[in-house]
Amino acid sequence: MKTFVCIKYVPDTSEAEVKVNPDGVTVDSSRFSFDINDADNYAVEESVLIKEAEEGEVTVVSIGPKQSDVMIRMAMAKGCDQAVRIEDDRIAGYDPLMVAKVLAGAIKGQEFDLVLTGCMASDDWHMSTGVAMAEELGVNHASMVKKLEVLDGGKVKAYRELEGGLMEVVEVELPAVITIQTGINEPRYAPIRGIREAQKKELKVVSLDDIGVDPAAVGPDASQVILEALSIPEVVSAAEFIEGEPDEKAAKLASILVKGGLV
Amino acid sequence: MGNVLVLAEHRQGVLRDVSFEMLAVAPKLAADMGGELMVLLIGSGIDDLAQKIAGYGTKVMVIDDPLFENFNADKYQKVLSALIDDLKPALVMTGHTAQGVDFMPALAVEKNLPLVADVIGFDYVGGTLKATRQLYSGKVNATMAFKPADTYLATFREGAVEAPEPSTAGAVEKLDSPLKEDLPYRKFIEYIEAEVGDVDITQSDILVSVGRGLKEDKNLPQIEELAKAIKADIAGSRAATDAGWIPHDRQVGTSGKSVKPKLYIAMGISGAFQHLAGMKGAKTVVAINKDPEAPIFTVADYAIVDDMFKIVPKLTEKLKELKG
Amino acid sequence: MSTECQTFTEKYDLLGCIQCGRCTGGCPVTVRANLNVRRFVVDASYEDKLEELAKLAEIWDCTACHTCAVRCPKGLKPLEVLLGLRAMIIESGKVEPTVRDALQSVLLEGNPWEKSRAARSDWMEGLDVKIAEPGVAVENLFFVCCTIAYDPRVQATAKNIVKILNKAGVDYAFLDESESCCGSEVFTLGEEGLFEMLVEDNTEFLNEYQAKRIVTLSPHCFTTYNAHYPDLNKPVIHYTQLLDEMLKDGRLTWKGDLQKKIVFHDPCYLGKQGGVYDEPRQLLKNIPGAELLEFERRRERSLCCEGGGGKMWVESESKKERLADTRIKDAKALGADIVAVACPFCVLTLEDAMKGLGFEEEMRVAEIMELLGEFVEV
Repeated sequence: MKTFVCIKYVPDTSEAEVKVNPDGVTVDSSRFSFDINDADNYAVEESVLIKEAEEGEVTVVSIGPKQSDVMIRMAMAKGCDQAVRIEDDRIAGYDPLMVAKVLAGAIKGQEFDLVLTGCMASDDWHMSTGVAMAEELGVNHASMVKKLEVLDGGKVKAYRELEGGLMEVVEVELPAVITIQTGINEPRYAPIRGIREAQKKELKVVSLDDIGVDPAAVGPDASQVILEALSIPEVVSAAEFIEGEPDEKAAKLASILVKGGLV
Repeated sequence: MGNVLVLAEHRQGVLRDVSFEMLAVAPKLAADMGGELMVLLIGSGIDDLAQKIAGYGTKVMVIDDPLFENFNADKYQKVLSALIDDLKPALVMTGHTAQGVDFMPALAVEKNLPLVADVIGFDYVGGTLKATRQLYSGKVNATMAFKPADTYLATFREGAVEAPEPSTAGAVEKLDSPLKEDLPYRKFIEYIEAEVGDVDITQSDILVSVGRGLKEDKNLPQIEELAKAIKADIAGSRAATDAGWIPHDRQVGTSGKSVKPKLYIAMGISGAFQHLAGMKGAKTVVAINKDPEAPIFTVADYAIVDDMFKIVPKLTEKLKELKG
Repeated sequence: MSTECQTFTEKYDLLGCIQCGRCTGGCPVTVRANLNVRRFVVDASYEDKLEELAKLAEIWDCTACHTCAVRCPKGLKPLEVLLGLRAMIIESGKVEPTVRDALQSVLLEGNPWEKSRAARSDWMEGLDVKIAEPGVAVENLFFVCCTIAYDPRVQATAKNIVKILNKAGVDYAFLDESESCCGSEVFTLGEEGLFEMLVEDNTEFLNEYQAKRIVTLSPHCFTTYNAHYPDLNKPVIHYTQLLDEMLKDGRLTWKGDLQKKIVFHDPCYLGKQGGVYDEPRQLLKNIPGAELLEFERRRERSLCCEGGGGKMWVESESKKERLADTRIKDAKALGADIVAVACPFCVLTLEDAMKGLGFEEEMRVAEIMELLGEFVEV
């Protein structure tokens, strides 16, 4: 099985305060901590599990800066065999269709069975890149996969997680792009010794020219959307905030719930 | 020329909420862009669904063919590709759902058309269509502008707006399926229902729901005590179920259950959009979270900013006392 | 299978063990878990048994309190066999997700709490803190500790000491957010590779600062630096030792009247591993109106709170009473109003126990610096 796994280096903004820069189209990322996109981490684990079961090879592909090398080495420590990191500031990263062109460009022309990637990036929530890649590569796909079985005869059985927890089971002929939902497996830990060993594996840093992707085809001019402005949504809260010491608050709430006939 | 085509979504014989919600924004868009609004329905044996959505005042086009017995992303893509060529709509919109994300990006690439995904609002300003979406855990709104194109594509977030009321019945028109043959490379096998435990939280009256703030399952007993005191069922956010603290069939959110209890007590839940979407049916919401900026407070009726473990034991005690 | 091409026997000098059983006899965890460290010492000398041993749940019950090492008549460290077995699991990658996330966080953000490095000095907001600079010599270079920096419950240790130091005019400086985890829990979780990296990087980092000595706020950092960082160019002390000096020099002005009974819980990492027993007691004795009680299990015999040894990230499978619960019950039986501690992990585990037992109305768990913050003039 030859698998490509596409991963993204994203900031963890679940707890961070996010501020828009004066330019109105970027945010202040100086206090962000970056790591592998959660869903992509599950994709890495899935690709390694498939490699362990079916034998084969996994190549990591990522668009990102030098700082993201540690993320790539961690993926290789877990069992991925080599990596390609694309570094080029001419890519319109805010447009998933442009990103998909770049990633597909890095993979095109090579034999593969599977391309795995997370179904959603936690920084922009597009849920578009993987499926767009499938079309760029001219292969089949299935998205939001919560369970993946490799079948004989060049097929996979993909269990897609729909709303309400309902699973849609589809059989897809390989080669295919599968976008992975979180919770599909339990990602392993990459010990430092393993990361050090992984230094021996190949991590090729390339530009758009190196992978034969025309910068004019993936830049802001090629993109058909414009990121006009960022703004902080107003937190419109109609909530009644209960005040006081913790015990007072708990008592007041209890009173509200009982007196209001809510419990 | 500014026609708007809304692809409605249905599953297992029922039209999904997002189908109606899109009709809250689509009519104005069609008007702004100087065109007509058309709803598209693809399926097999879906007359009743067509009639239902036609009751929302718009024209409905139906492709009813056994080929579309079950959703198939590739088939839908082929249909829409053909319809875009035929009808040349200015905007094609569908839900940002497991269905929508499975083919819209591919369609965009195939036809070289612009796509904005997970839209929460539209604006048509001076001839330019703009769409609002979110970034960074929902903390930032981004205004995206479409560059001029023959057709704009968009997926619309479920639960972002309220569905309109039904109005006059629109016309229902049957279309021939542009797709004539089955596609062998992607086969629907079956649906598997989510494992139902002893409780169906979609039917619960009172839910006590925990999120990442629970920190570990050893903290569950005090939650169970609270739930017992008020005869509530326990649910959780994705963080809680992914961590294995709460069984999956109790997960509230877009990838879990949609609940509509009388009372929803959210503790240690930040209120990520995917979770809020699952609980928007709750009548009264109580939120306890130590982060004053937590989005959960935007949907709460009563709020306490504090560490849930500082509140829960006392709350349980007082509730037991007051209920006698 | 062995680490670094050494067998367990060689690495941990297992042949030196005379199987006297003093280790297991003193191990505080044996009352609640199926952990017999003496057995592990003998079993681990069989290379082909190692893989099987590493899969046992009880190897994660060890809190690294070091009672076994303190008691061993041959000067061995039986607990390190358990840590060696943990290292095998770490290398396989198949650890508890909580352990995985903590270790990854140390690598990427310099702390095990999955907090951003950029926020490490946020506790300093609103305070007048002197920040250390490599070129500027100071007498006391303060190392904060990841838990004290990020956990609001224990930030008071750092905040209060800053106020006291400023008032007393002590020559000091604090490391800023470039400070990284000392690796205490990385070591006990068995991530040898990461720990080696931390020792190398931190030694280089700390040696760049000119100071008479490094003062740590947490006993874990104190012991880890003293035991595992051979190339540090400065001595490392715990803050209670510095404050005890200040006390003797009359640089602490007391106020108020506590009128409470305090019992001091000796942290394993300060007492039995660091030999610091008297300084905390001196500080507590001098609080106006304080009456200092003593546990029967005190000093070298202190009952581990089960906060260390990676236990913040790994739950024991045992359902028996937690040692922290036992300790709190002992304190209550003694008639203590306050259980005083000098370690952030002790604060968290003992306070959790106290709340779990429902004693918050009558008792309090307090870090020494919390008390000094209330009874020393700033």
